[in-house]
Order: sequence, then C-alpha cells, then structure tokens
Amino acid sequence: MHLLGALAPQLTPVPISTGVATILVAVIMTMHVQFAAWQQGGYIILAVSDFMGWKRKSEHHDRFSRGLVTMLGASFALGGSLAIFAVVILFTGLWSHFWVTLLRVLFWPLLAEAAAFVGEIACLYPLYARWEQLGRVRGLRVGLEVLLFVNASIQMLLINMVASYMLTPRPAFNLPLIMFNPTMIPLEIHRFVGNIAFAGAIIALVAGIRLLRRAKAPQLRAYVDWMGQYGLVWAIGFTIAQPLVGWEYAKEIQLHAYASWYDMMLGGLSVAFLFQVFLLGLIFTGGIFYLWRRVRASGFRSPALAVCTALSFLAWLLISTPSSLAWSYESVFAANANVPIWQGGLLIPWGAMIPWKLTALVTFTGVAIVAITLYLKHVSRGRLHWGDAGKSQAVALIAVGVSISLIMALMGYIRENSRGPFLITNHMLINQQQDFTPPSASGPALNGPASGVSIIMPSDLHP
Amino acid sequence: MAEELERSVLVGRLTRPISGLMATTYRWVDERLGVTDLVHQLLYEAVPRRGAWAYSLGSATLILIVLQIVTGMFLLWTYVPSTTEAWLSLNFIEHHDEFAAIVRGMHLWGAYILFVVIGLHMVRTFVSGSYKKPRELNWIVGVVLFLLVLGLGITGAMLPWDQAAYWTATVVTHVVDYFPIFGTQLQEILRGGPQMGPATLTRFFAIHIWLLPALLVPLIGLHLILLRRHGEHGSWVNYEGVEEETEAERAERMARAEAPYPALPSDPGYAVPMDLDDFFPSQVFKDALVSFGLVLLIFIMAIVIGAPIERAANPAALNYVPTPEWFFLPLDQLLVQFPQAWMIPVGVFILPGIGTTLLILVPFLDRTPGRQPWRRPEVMVPALFVLLFLIFEAMLAVNRLFNL
Repeated sequence: MHLLGALAPQLTPVPISTGVATILVAVIMTMHVQFAAWQQGGYIILAVSDFMGWKRKSEHHDRFSRGLVTMLGASFALGGSLAIFAVVILFTGLWSHFWVTLLRVLFWPLLAEAAAFVGEIACLYPLYARWEQLGRVRGLRVGLEVLLFVNASIQMLLINMVASYMLTPRPAFNLPLIMFNPTMIPLEIHRFVGNIAFAGAIIALVAGIRLLRRAKAPQLRAYVDWMGQYGLVWAIGFTIAQPLVGWEYAKEIQLHAYASWYDMMLGGLSVAFLFQVFLLGLIFTGGIFYLWRRVRASGFRSPALAVCTALSFLAWLLISTPSSLAWSYESVFAANANVPIWQGGLLIPWGAMIPWKLTALVTFTGVAIVAITLYLKHVSRGRLHWGDAGKSQAVALIAVGVSISLIMALMGYIRENSRGPFLITNHMLINQQQDFTPPSASGPALNGPASGVSIIMPSDLHP
Repeated sequence: MAEELERSVLVGRLTRPISGLMATTYRWVDERLGVTDLVHQLLYEAVPRRGAWAYSLGSATLILIVLQIVTGMFLLWTYVPSTTEAWLSLNFIEHHDEFAAIVRGMHLWGAYILFVVIGLHMVRTFVSGSYKKPRELNWIVGVVLFLLVLGLGITGAMLPWDQAAYWTATVVTHVVDYFPIFGTQLQEILRGGPQMGPATLTRFFAIHIWLLPALLVPLIGLHLILLRRHGEHGSWVNYEGVEEETEAERAERMARAEAPYPALPSDPGYAVPMDLDDFFPSQVFKDALVSFGLVLLIFIMAIVIGAPIERAANPAALNYVPTPEWFFLPLDQLLVQFPQAWMIPVGVFILPGIGTTLLILVPFLDRTPGRQPWRRPEVMVPALFVLLFLIFEAMLAVNRLFNL
C-alpha cells in the first residue's frame, strides 16, 4: 500500500487535450458502433438467409449465408478489438471519471455485457470455423444463428441502457429506473431497427460496388444482382419504421432532456439534424428508385413504383427544406426576423416540423410500404431475372449504403453533442476527466463552474 | 372399411355406459336425444395431418372463453354491481375468501391469456391464408368475435370500481364524446347521464355480463358451424406439391376426400389437404393437451400473482394517472403520437377504424393465387408492418408509463 501511496503523486493527467481526446473517442466509437450495428443486424440476416436456403433449397441464400458468416467472423475480430481499445485505453485513460462513474452506476448491466461477448464468441466461432460440418445438422446451425442474434440483441439492450442513461439519467441508486430510463426503449427500438437496416445496406453497398466493377460473368452477376436487391429490401424494409420510432425517441428527449432536444431541433445542432433528415430522404428515395428501375430492368413497367418514387422525391424536398435562413432559431429571434421570408423575415414556413416535415415522414413510411410490397409481388411471381441490374441500380445501391453509414455516424455526433458540455446530462462535465484530486468539501468545484449542476464523483457512489 | 370400424370402436368406448342400470338409462336417453349419433358427428371428422399443434389454438380459445364464463358465474355470487359495494365485495374476496380470490385471479389471467391465444390464432390463420375461398365468412365472424372479446376486456376492467376501474371508465367514456355527430349522446348512454355515477357501473356491468356474451355465444356457434362445414384449411404445408399435380391426381385426391372435404368452392388444389388425419383421437388429444396446459398456467398465475385490487374509486383524486390494460397499450400510445388537435379523432377513430375495416375485408382484398406466405407479399408485407407497429407501440407505452 505504501508503495502505491508513494506513486500517487505521479498520477498526472495523460498529456492529451480534451479536444483531441474527444476526437479520438468519437472516431473510435463511431467505427465501433458501425461494426456493432453490422454484427447485430448481420446475425438476423444470416439466420433468416440460412433458414431460407435450407427450407426453400435456394442456392443464392446458401451461397450468401456462407459468405456472410465469413464477413461477420472477420468483422467481429476487428470491431471487438476497437471496443477493447476504446474501453481500456480511451475511456480509462482519458475519461477516467466518466468511465468509473458509469461502471459504478451500471455495474451489473456492464458485467452482463462483458459476459455476453463470451456468448457471442461461443456461437460465432463454430459457425465461422465449422460451417460445412454444422450444415449436416442444418437445424442446429440455424438454431446457433438465432442464438447468436438473441445474444447480440441482449448485448445491444444492455449497452443501450448505458447510452440512454447518459442522456436521461435517473437517481444513482435506483437501478431499475436507471436501466429503464425514459429514452431506453425508444433508443432500443431505434437501434434494433437501424442495425438491421444498416446491415442490409452494407450488403447492398458491397453488391453495388461489385456490380459496377468486377461482376461480369453471367452466373456471378446474377448472384450479385440478387444479393444487392436482397440487402436493399432489408435496408428499406427496416428503415420504414424509423420515422415513427425516431419521432417517438425525439418526443421522449423533449420531455426528459429538453435542452438536448432544443439544441437538436432548433439550436446549434439543427443544421446537422436537417442534414440527417436529408440523408433519410436520400435513403428512401434512392431505395424506392432502385426498386422501380430494377423491375424495369427485367422488362416490366410499374407505373405505381414510378409514382412511389416521385412521391418520395417530393417528400425528400419537403423534409430537406430548412425552417429558417439561420443557423438556429435563436439567431432568428436575435435578428428580430420571426416572420416569413416574403415579409422580410428569415422563416420558411414549408420547413416547419408540423405539419410539413411530419407529412414528409408519413409519406416516406406509406410510400415505402407500398413500394416494397409491389416489388416483392414481382419477385414472388418470378418476374425478375437476376443479372439484369444496370448501372443506375448499382449506383442507387451504393447511395443507400453510403447514406445509411453516414446517417449513423451523424446521429452519433448529434446525440453526443446534444448533451454538451455534459457527458452525463446535468451530472458530469467533459472537462477535467483526469483530475485525480478528491472532491473538495466546499462543493462541486472539481468539474467546472456549472452552477446548479449536481456533479457525480465515483466516491459519491459508495453507499 | 377397417378404419371406419376402428373409429366406431373408439367412439363406442366413449359412449358405451358401464353396466346394467346405466346402460338402460343411456339407451333410453339415446333413443330420444340421439347422443351416440351426435358424438359420432362431433368426433368423426377429417383434419389436416401436418401442423396439427398450431390448429389447437382455436379450440384453446373456446376452452378459455368457457373458463371465463364459468369463473364469471362464480364471481357473480359475491360481486355487487353498485358504486358503493363493488369495491367492498371484491376487497372481501381478496382478503377473506381464498377460493373466490383464486377464481377471480383465474378470471383475470384467463382474460389475459385469452387475448394472447386469440392473437396467435388470428396470426396463424392470416399467415396460412385460411380466410380464402370458401372460408371468408368465418374470418369475418372471427374478427367480430375478437372485437367482442376486446369489449369484454375493457368493460370487465371497469367493474372493480377501484381507482384503475373508475379512471378507465372516465377516459373511455370521455373518448366516446369525440365520436362524430352523436358522440355526446353515446357518452350519456354509456355513463347513464352527463357525469360518471352509479348508472355508469350498472351499464358497464350489463354490457359485460349480458349484452356482449349474448352476441358472443351465438357467433361462436356460427364460427364452429362454418368450421365444420368447410373443414380445417390447415396451412401451406398441407398442400405442398399441389401445383405439380396432374388433373388425374387431383381428381383422385378429391374422390378420396373424407367429410367435410372437399371444401367448395375453393381454388383448384386447395379443396382437400394432401394428407388427412382423424379429429378423434389425434387432434382431440393435441387440443386437450394445449388447453390443459393453458388452464394450468392460468391457475398457477391466479395463485402466484392473483388479481390485485387498487384503492376504492376516488373521483376527487388529482394525482392518479390512469393506465390502460396491457392489450390496449398500442392504442394508448397511438394517442400521444399526434398533435393534440388530431389526437383523439386520428388515434381513436380514424386509424383504428381503417385498421378494423381492412382486417374484416382481408379475404376480399387478398387476390393472391397461392397460400404460401412468401407468395402473398401484397398482404403479408403490410400485415408485418402493422404487427411490428403494434409491438413497438406497446413497448413505447410501457416505457412511457414506467417513467411517469
């Protein structure tokens, strides 16, 4: 003990500024989130594809499942190492107070999260290494894939408790309230749906690139064409739920973390949020455009799909319209220009959330359901010939894939910055994360000057 | 012939009395009522062989409804439908009458599990395309039965006249006021006046024990008659290979069909399942096992959790937050989706109205040729979204209510 005591004065902060630390954490965590989303969404697509290949004796599904499990195995290794790097080096080294506090407040969920990685390895590794052998007992292999998805879903549920707690924290010693805080379930559904859509979009993206570049041989082109539309149906099919779920999520943030909500919708982050809905429009419009052109590429006209594309495009224009010609609503007030542009103000009425952006969201949802249904009708009647996909469809696949990847990164940026300057809303500031001095008895001076803010220190958490 | 004989023996064992006086009595009754013939008619039926466990959900629904009727009758022995004594009578049951408390628990949990079983039964029927020609009417009757059970659920929740019941009744009758044109009149009919009062409980009691069951029971009968008339459709697994069949093979299959098949008018190939089994004992055994398991589960829940009762209704309580029964959570959450002016018109009338109409019209909207779900994307895709929507709404409602 005395040796450690002697070392204590040497525990000085890591010589990296808060800004650099924030960027490092942001980059690594954004990459990690994308890998994790890919894994979780990929597992359900794997299970469904393998089941379809088994029950419907579909060669495309079989070939796809084999390739997907290889990709998932490799990406798990990289994504997992990013998580370990983030936790061990970045969080522990750069944001010590934050991490220790989180670990203390959410010890059991984080412990279960760590244990779930063992479950993931136990399910994924046999699939990765013994795919063919497990195929002799196909039910067992599909069962293992379902187990893998369930395990990954539990992992996501647990980490969503942590992520949502940071935005809408609850009393420190009431674990059920902490775990099921106001934004936990909306975030859970938002990510659950989003991860599956993301995995589908990545599959579509890979197929799109291959269609443009290498897949020339008829058999290979047929498979890649099939893979592209398969991934896109997953991507668009699950993105359909996002307008509703995202709306609900925003409502809960409005009710329980108003400052964050204001910043996102009307404040400094509103421009980023506008770009966010622009990307959402691009995903829907690009996806529906793909469905229309893909049917056309096999020689079938579908006026209904063309109308869907046009409606989605109009909704995209509507949702991308800014509500004002200013960076934030405060600027509009500051300039005393709270009137429409034709009256000399800065407001653009068609950019208002209600009713215009809401109408656009409802349009995306309705039109996408109709478009997916119409497209699958063509597929179920055997009208599409795989290999017919042209350049415009490949570009649409790539656009949807890139947009979903961007939208996820941007969503992370918005969510994290909406809490600013807090790491845990109203409780922990981002500054002085490596200050090892115990808190003074006189008050919350340690983490900054924010008056009226209760600062949690790890030492406060011992009952 | 041998099969016929074997089945006669089996039924004979069921209907044959044990000895002497009982045999004479049975014969006397049988000659006048035709019991043996009736039992033969009830048990001698062909059903699809594959997927039989899934088809037991219908009979499980019936058994659970019967359980509700029986436990409800027992509760009437103690329950007093008045605003001053309803809560007292149930509080007495909870604290001083263990048998009645278990019966009340079974009534509550029976209702909860009934909703789950009906939901699964409807999903199974929908996915398998069992509503297609010639079974359209049976689907419509089934949907109406589901709505009646929902009505029984909501009116039953008002009867304890505790805080939850009182405020549920207040919210429900308040929502009715928004109904176009005659909303206020409808509200006054349900409340027994412009305000909540003794007549409100009496009216919901009458609706719960008389009006809705009086509609429910004959419709169940009609549902069963239609089922017996057209036979159990089963699902696509019972018709695998029908598309590759030659005309001669199909004709032979039709000729070999046992009653109640062939189900006509039906699409070619779907009039008779590929492989048939006997309703008795094969299907009866599975039905009985599933129903027994569910009743056992209800009994256990009644003992372990029971039917908690809140404090007596207090109209003056200002801080009480009414929460709906779990099966109404999606509808409750739907209300908060919309801006205030649209809330009740859209959330209570327009969207649920459109949804119910589409549900009833499904057999006429689905013009797809096949029965496999993957060959019917026109109905399966929208239905999947509706189902996911309802699940998400329920989850979001739980989250919202937990964090109040």
